[in-house]
Amino acid sequence: MFDPQLIRKDFPILSREVNGKPLVYLDSAATSQKPRQVLDAEREYYEHQNANVHRGAHTLGDESTHLLDVAREKVQLFIVAPRKEEIIFVRNTTEAINLVAYSWGSGYLAKDDVVVTTVMEHHSNMVPWQSAAERRGAKVEVVGLTESGQIDMKDYRKKLELKPKLVAFAHVSNTLGTVNPVAEMTKLAHKAGALVLVDGAQAVPHMPVNVAALGCDFYVFSGHKMLGPMGVGVLWGRKELLEAMPPFLTGGGMIDEVYPDHATWAALPDKFEAGTPNVAGAVGFTSAIDYLEKLSMKDVWEHDRELVAYALQRLSTVPEVKILGIRDSEMRSGSVAFVYSGVHAHDVATILDSEGIAVRSGHHCTMPLHSSMGVAASVRASFSVYTTKDDIDALITALEKVKKVFNT
Amino acid sequence: MDIYREEVLDHYKTPRNQGKLVGDDVLTASGANSSCGDSIKVYLRVTEGKIDEVRWEGSGCAISTAAASKLSQYLQGKTVKALTKMSEDELTREAIGLKVNPGRLKCLMLPATVVRKLLGN
Repeated sequence: MFDPQLIRKDFPILSREVNGKPLVYLDSAATSQKPRQVLDAEREYYEHQNANVHRGAHTLGDESTHLLDVAREKVQLFIVAPRKEEIIFVRNTTEAINLVAYSWGSGYLAKDDVVVTTVMEHHSNMVPWQSAAERRGAKVEVVGLTESGQIDMKDYRKKLELKPKLVAFAHVSNTLGTVNPVAEMTKLAHKAGALVLVDGAQAVPHMPVNVAALGCDFYVFSGHKMLGPMGVGVLWGRKELLEAMPPFLTGGGMIDEVYPDHATWAALPDKFEAGTPNVAGAVGFTSAIDYLEKLSMKDVWEHDRELVAYALQRLSTVPEVKILGIRDSEMRSGSVAFVYSGVHAHDVATILDSEGIAVRSGHHCTMPLHSSMGVAASVRASFSVYTTKDDIDALITALEKVKKVFNT
Repeated sequence: MDIYREEVLDHYKTPRNQGKLVGDDVLTASGANSSCGDSIKVYLRVTEGKIDEVRWEGSGCAISTAAASKLSQYLQGKTVKALTKMSEDELTREAIGLKVNPGRLKCLMLPATVVRKLLGN
């Protein structure tokens, strides 16, 4: 039984106050809060197993190596990846995309090649491709959106005619909440001969994800947005692609043999995990996935359906609020961003903060998207498993204070 | 909500000295906080080392707008020499005198940052 009131009891931070008011945390798309189970798992790791992995032959080292392996398998099964060694641990989604942009880019992106992204991308799925294109003399083509904030499939097909080498897009937009038709877009991209990288940072926390069914080639996401600790992210990639790609970071842990003048690389996943990994983070991440699985991702998704529909409905009753993105709650997930007429997003957020309500304000790392909508900044309320309708009610009530202060 | 006190909202809703200046004796500089879309351009007419006229144009949140408005009033009649001795912090404290959370500091500081850039060191 999915009961957010019970779930909330597992999140110590939700009982704190901000500015004398109970915290209403509506910024889970930036980072989610962490349940006690995750915090305990990390602490217990440091208290009982802490040692470096793959080093020597002592018990703690073996146990740490095993725990990292358990985390990898946990992630593999969670996103239905065909092979465990296809799961590469990185710091976050940004690092995962940079890994592909550098490694695959240096191996396979040539002069005048094309990479396609969309205007709704987070900067982390745009700038790494711009940089890769600059290094390789390639070009980035950006797909536009329809008026309702969905990917313009006509424009997408047109960009695919340019025969791009790779297409990169979000599963769920971090600003508009739009859920993109990943399987369909992937099929079209493959037909055009392109590889597909999907930024799943805003999808994996909310819905069951099956990378095998999506059909994409790379799928990336962060642990910290799905109840896990900061500092652990995931790159999933097809084995044959990862094997053929040159390493990203080099040094300890990622080698097979080293000679004074050259080295050979370890097999997957080690080849892409240079240096001491974040084992404690991986242990916390395991616990976060356990937590989500216990809730059932199907129910997590249903909870998100309810919250998004409720937030859209309540916000649409505020005359000063203009909601960004599609109004059909079935087409979106995780968050609702809006503009408050006559009051800058930062001013709205500061007033909401005075009522204990945490929202994101600004461009949410989507400047091109905001420019394309003619909006300098917006306010975003975003949700997680512990978010309740009461939280959204509190937001609506606090928006009345914005009206009062600014006399709009 | 101390920072949205009446004085701040008054400057936000009816900003002082908004507009442009033209002429050979006009100094201008501009700046922006790309993270929030605040942007400002400042015009100063300086005669014999003294600020004769101040205008500014731009758009932004209540904090950056009120800060620009208050700063424009403060600059009027000041000597460039005196102003160049002041840091951005001092300028903000003296001219604007608002206290904000660290997250809003960039909004508050933007006008003074532009004026410091304009006047040089």
